Amino acid sequence: MQLRRALGLMPLALLLIAWEVAVQLKVYPPVLLPAPEKVALVFVNDTATVLDHALSSVARVLVGIGLSFIVAVPLGLMIGRYRLLDMLTDWSIQIFRSVPPISLIPLAILFLGIGDKPAIALIFLSGLWPLLINTIFGVRGIERTLIKVARAARAGEFLVMKDIILPASLPAIFTGLRLAVGAGWLTVVTAEMIAVKSGLGYMILNAQLTFRSDLIFAGIIVIGAIGLLADQLVRIARGRVCRWQEGLTATNE
Amino acid sequence: MNRFIECVGVGKIYPGKTGPVEALRGIDFICEAGSFVCLLGRSGCGKSTLLQLMAGLEKPSSGQIAVAGRELDGPSPEAAIVFQDHGLFPWMTVQKNVEFNMKARGVPAGQRRDRARKFIDMTGLTGFGDRYPHELSGGMRQRVGIARALTTDPKALLMDEPFGALDAQTRGRLQDELLQIWETQRTTVLFVTHSIDEALLLADRILVFTPRPGKIAADIKVDLPRPRTQQSDDFTALARELRGLIGAERDFD
Ligand SMILES: Nc1ncnc2c1ncn2[C@@H]1O[C@H](COP(=O)(O)OP(=O)(O)OP(=O)(O)O)[C@@H](O)[C@H]1O
Ligand SMILES: [Mg+2]
Repeated sequence: MQLRRALGLMPLALLLIAWEVAVQLKVYPPVLLPAPEKVALVFVNDTATVLDHALSSVARVLVGIGLSFIVAVPLGLMIGRYRLLDMLTDWSIQIFRSVPPISLIPLAILFLGIGDKPAIALIFLSGLWPLLINTIFGVRGIERTLIKVARAARAGEFLVMKDIILPASLPAIFTGLRLAVGAGWLTVVTAEMIAVKSGLGYMILNAQLTFRSDLIFAGIIVIGAIGLLADQLVRIARGRVCRWQEGLTATNE
Repeated sequence: MNRFIECVGVGKIYPGKTGPVEALRGIDFICEAGSFVCLLGRSGCGKSTLLQLMAGLEKPSSGQIAVAGRELDGPSPEAAIVFQDHGLFPWMTVQKNVEFNMKARGVPAGQRRDRARKFIDMTGLTGFGDRYPHELSGGMRQRVGIARALTTDPKALLMDEPFGALDAQTRGRLQDELLQIWETQRTTVLFVTHSIDEALLLADRILVFTPRPGKIAADIKVDLPRPRTQQSDDFTALARELRGLIGAERDFD
């Protein structure tokens, strides 16, 4: 199982080999294409720089996606449960969600200036729609009989929300969270290239200006690694919280 | 005679996707308190629909239904329903599932736990309290649904093919247990089945349904002495009569 997973790293290994070969053949001058060893050295010599910027990026995503979670999940539960709310919001949600958050960077800077605020606002928006839509989807997917059981038991609305609607939607909410974290991570890097003066996006852009291509490569590697790690963490959390779902779904992730 | 459920001219039309479906037409019947009534008929003749109407989960399109002398307006606290497809919450353990109806009524947690255990034991599920529904066999799931319905001491039990998914032996044992509960608690039981033998083993009275639209074709009193067996001449005579009424060539279970 672990071995099969590891096989997924094959393309990456091939890329690394191609990279090394390109360096040996001097396809590009070393200023543009640093040797893998040189990039590895960045993690030794510039640990503090990389770590600082990585932490800034991660913190922004945590805050931004945390906010989208707090807003999207209760809202999605309500919209999914109450027809009227759904009617009032459906089209607007469809329209809003097709606007890429990155296209709002200029507006965000105009209204919020340069700094954490515009970046977090954009991450919030990137996470909001996938979380909202998946939560609504989760509520819709509830077996009709289960709602009938609750009605027959004359359960109050709060109990229905807490004990039935929310747990039934959790798998879908976690799917939304995975998408949200992914989207938020994409947005943070882009936003940092324009709207903030710290974070991995900023570090990469700055490295370009100072001809530190090794730092650019190191930054990209860190971005990929953190993205993978975040996704795995959400997956593990989902497995923990939705343990009851094991054996219900055909494929075990 | 004590009228517990009264249906007068009850009809139900579902707004189906391909045009309205008339599930029931002109249902008149009075169910006495403490009686055991079987609703018998082949698939699609409206048995589940009538049960849901009497449970207050659906509204009749025409006619009136009264339970315990009061016109039905939503689920009655006097009745508990056992659903054809179990209606268990997959994210709750057996224990929590059985506790749900009591929780909806605000029974304190400690009392709930003890009482749920009692009914888990009674339905032969001792030791399975911590399991999730997907870890149980089909027959065990049905027993959880039955245990949950019994916890609130309902005056009426509305059961929708509760023994449908069971092997003959388990089915026989649970039939005996149900009869025992019925005899000791004097519960009114409305029991849906499409098995002629099951209806004859259990009921005081059998309502035979015919489809399109669903209506009561015959109302048969069963006077066979209890405990009943399939081996008596009276039993086979009644079974033959019922087979003719349903319009089936043979018992199809
Ligand atoms: N929610 C619904 N919407 C539309 N049509 C429905 C709905 N529920 C039931 N029907 C239709 O009403 C008719 C009666 O269905 P019902 O489920 O009451 O039959 P049944 O006697 O319980 O059958 P079975 O023995 O298969 O459970 C069927 O034709 C069915 O298609
Ligand atoms: Mg049915």
